[in-house]
Amino acid sequence: MNTRLISLAALVATLTACSSVPDRNAELDKAQGRFNMADRDPQVFTLAAPELKQAKESLALAQQAFSAGDKLTTVNHLAYLASQRVTIAQETASSRAAQAITAGAGAERDQMRLAMRTNEADMAKRQLALSEQRNAQKTSELAQADATALRDQTRLQMKDARLNDLEAQLKEMNVKKTERGIVVTLGDVLFDSGKAQLMPDGSENMAKLAGIFRNNPQHTASIEGYTDNVGGANANYDLSSLRAKAVMNALISLGVSPQRLSTRAHGEENPASSNSTSAGRQMNRRVEIVFAPHSGDLSAK
Amino acid sequence: MKILPLNSSTATVRSLVLASMLAVVLSGCASTAPEPTARMAVAEAAVQRANNTTTNENAPSELLIATTKLASARQAVINKDFERAEQLAEQAQLDARVAELHAQSEISRKAALETQDAARVLREEIDRKTVR
Repeated sequence: MNTRLISLAALVATLTACSSVPDRNAELDKAQGRFNMADRDPQVFTLAAPELKQAKESLALAQQAFSAGDKLTTVNHLAYLASQRVTIAQETASSRAAQAITAGAGAERDQMRLAMRTNEADMAKRQLALSEQRNAQKTSELAQADATALRDQTRLQMKDARLNDLEAQLKEMNVKKTERGIVVTLGDVLFDSGKAQLMPDGSENMAKLAGIFRNNPQHTASIEGYTDNVGGANANYDLSSLRAKAVMNALISLGVSPQRLSTRAHGEENPASSNSTSAGRQMNRRVEIVFAPHSGDLSAK
Repeated sequence: MKILPLNSSTATVRSLVLASMLAVVLSGCASTAPEPTARMAVAEAAVQRANNTTTNENAPSELLIATTKLASARQAVINKDFERAEQLAEQAQLDARVAELHAQSEISRKAALETQDAARVLREEIDRKTVR
């Protein structure tokens, strides 16, 4: 009887020691706490769902072992495994989150780079367009300048041609180039001695002169009368004036605008030659038509 | 076992039965598990795989836990504590996995930081260009 009791007591004691049924297990609690934390973490919950599920199953095994009164070492072992499963879920989640960031940042960077390239291309395009515009403008300006230059040149050439023309036309007549301009001298052959009446012979010369005025419409002329020193100075002055006016009237009658003509009397002054010889006196009896170099006023000079 | 007289044998037999039961229970409490050869092999492979440059650089302490535990498992096998060996091997296997994953997440974290940094630099550069 005694032995039986002892044996039973020993058996019970052994069973109790083996099953070890405390209320709590620290390792299990720790694993449970860690699992709860991971389970509440949206990152782990979303990015490592399968790993979290494995951790949950592992934790359930540990809890079962604990509830079944398994050995402490077994429960601790299973709790440790559960805890490590939680770690695996967390590491997986953080790894995937970081990878997502990398991918996202990479994509963002690509996008930024693309935007920058596009921007640069746009800018280059704009600058090209701008410079093309500027070039076009410059070309246009150049063309304009060319046109202006050409016009100027043409105008000059025309002027030259006209001047040459004038000179050619005047060549046939008694023409001198002086600092006052081109001077055409009509000799005394046009007039009877002492008279201011144009002789009919001079009409050909007058017609030529009128033609010159027609061809050179911008030229004005001063018609200036001179005499020799025969007779009184006053009479000679009046005669020179009358003769100049006679020439002017003849030109006006041939169609030259009166605005372009003026007369001036010099009398005996400014002789072209010596009055001591008859040939010289003949040269002094004259009417000069002075064409202004430009359309300016001759009398100002 | 001795053959006891029949008339006084009942109590003795019962005592023996109980004793043998006790022995069975006790031996159940102690390590009766077979040598965990397969589990050990798996753990060895897992730790060996985890023991690489990347893990050494990025998760040295986690790797140390795994290698230490595997060493303990080996020792337990030598001590014929097969149950403990099995547990330690299983833990070492998971520890190795943890070390690998930790290294991986460290690398990913660093890469993320680098990309974010690069993106920031690029954004600054763009901002500078836009201002110009």
